[in-house]
Amino acid sequence: MSANDLYLRSAVNDLYCDHHGWLQGWLRKRLGNTFDAADLAQDTFVRVIKARSALDIREPRPYLSMIAKGLLVDLFRRRSLEQSYLDALAAMPERQQPSLEEQAILFQALMEIDRLLQGLGPRVKQVFILSQFNGLTYPQIAERLDVSVRTVNNHMAKAMEHCCLMQIQLQLA
Amino acid sequence: MSLSPEQLQAIRAAAQWYARLHSGTAADADRAGWRAWLAADPLHDQAWQRMAAVSEQMASVPGALAAPTLSELPGRSRRQVLRSALLLTTTGCLGWLGWRSETAQNLRCDYRTGIGERRAFQLADGSTVLLNTDTSIDVRFDGKQRVVRLLWGEIIVTTAVDPAQRPFKVITEQVEVLALGTRFIVRAQAQRGEVAVLEKAVEVSLRSGGPATRVDAGSQLDFSDRSLGRPRANDVSVGAWQRGSIIAIDRRLDALLAELSRYRMGVLRCDPAIGDLKVSGVFPIDNTDLALAALESGFPLRVTRYSRFWVQVSHSR
Repeated sequence: MSANDLYLRSAVNDLYCDHHGWLQGWLRKRLGNTFDAADLAQDTFVRVIKARSALDIREPRPYLSMIAKGLLVDLFRRRSLEQSYLDALAAMPERQQPSLEEQAILFQALMEIDRLLQGLGPRVKQVFILSQFNGLTYPQIAERLDVSVRTVNNHMAKAMEHCCLMQIQLQLA
Repeated sequence: MSLSPEQLQAIRAAAQWYARLHSGTAADADRAGWRAWLAADPLHDQAWQRMAAVSEQMASVPGALAAPTLSELPGRSRRQVLRSALLLTTTGCLGWLGWRSETAQNLRCDYRTGIGERRAFQLADGSTVLLNTDTSIDVRFDGKQRVVRLLWGEIIVTTAVDPAQRPFKVITEQVEVLALGTRFIVRAQAQRGEVAVLEKAVEVSLRSGGPATRVDAGSQLDFSDRSLGRPRANDVSVGAWQRGSIIAIDRRLDALLAELSRYRMGVLRCDPAIGDLKVSGVFPIDNTDLALAALESGFPLRVTRYSRFWVQVSHSR
């Protein structure tokens, strides 16, 4: 272990001792529940350790709360997706329902797709979903959304470009 | 690693080609243009591979689940999306509840088959009904008529002579098919269907009103909510399912896969880029994996199994 690693470790340790309780309280206020708050506080520190940034932090609390906010958004997004996913599953005919294991795998896959779609405008996203997942043709989408076929085509191209760049970015991360 | 401006530009162009080819109305000229673009620069090919990777990730989930889950629609409109998904995937029985509550149900009985199942039933008058995969019928005979309600799916009816000379009818949500002593097939899907006659003739009329159309042996007719098609010669594959197969002659791959998917659980998805590939052959419906293997060995395509329920067919590039 290099000297730098030792410094880093001790910095993380200090950060944890000084601010973990505060962070957990901060999260509890926003989540209204102790368990989720404890989990997210833990995840926040895991991020800090992974980023190896503990030595450079000047203002620990704003920094920690910035990371925690990102995790909060992810958690809420996940919950809302989960809810729509369960609704969608419930709407499927029973005989077509995947097994529990497959449901979990599919949900994971859907979360990853959702991440690719993040940042797309609502209209572009809608066009993409209608084409890719509902299997509609562009003329059908154009009619449904009352836009031109050309607009549908442009939205699709934009969505594909966006997803592609997101995919590359996530693979690098 | 960051992407060079040339790479970014190639990705943008690839996305535009992808969009053009997936319009559902792409022409041969579009595909020729795309191939020329692809061959022009190795960067183009790389960028296209990335589109394929995105497409593959999208294909890793069934559309029926992805669309309602990922759509950004709050509250009521979310439920509307779900409701339309429900209508697409279930049997459309909902509209039929009224009939069930009618009186004189003592002679009514239900017959059903599951996905991949095929069963024959003999009715009280000696007529037989063979139910194809995923089919539901209700039967109601009374003093005046013999009625089979096809709620969903496909049946072959062979009518028997009735001593009481009651008319024999098959009724779907859209049409009424009056048998004129005969053997015929009726298929009902959401908002559309078809009637094909194997022996003698039938008369088809819209339940919403209008004149009846006579369909003779060797002919078939498509119908929708609002209209009846004109009778035309039977497709070569009509009724081949009785003998456990689908016959395809120069049939579009996407249409064949849609047909095959009636006989298997889960999702069988055709990559739109290969949907218009023409395929021919006799494909078993009692073992659709065998049918897929036959397709894979005979045509330039690849079958990818993401899970037992989720199979995608794409180019074997």
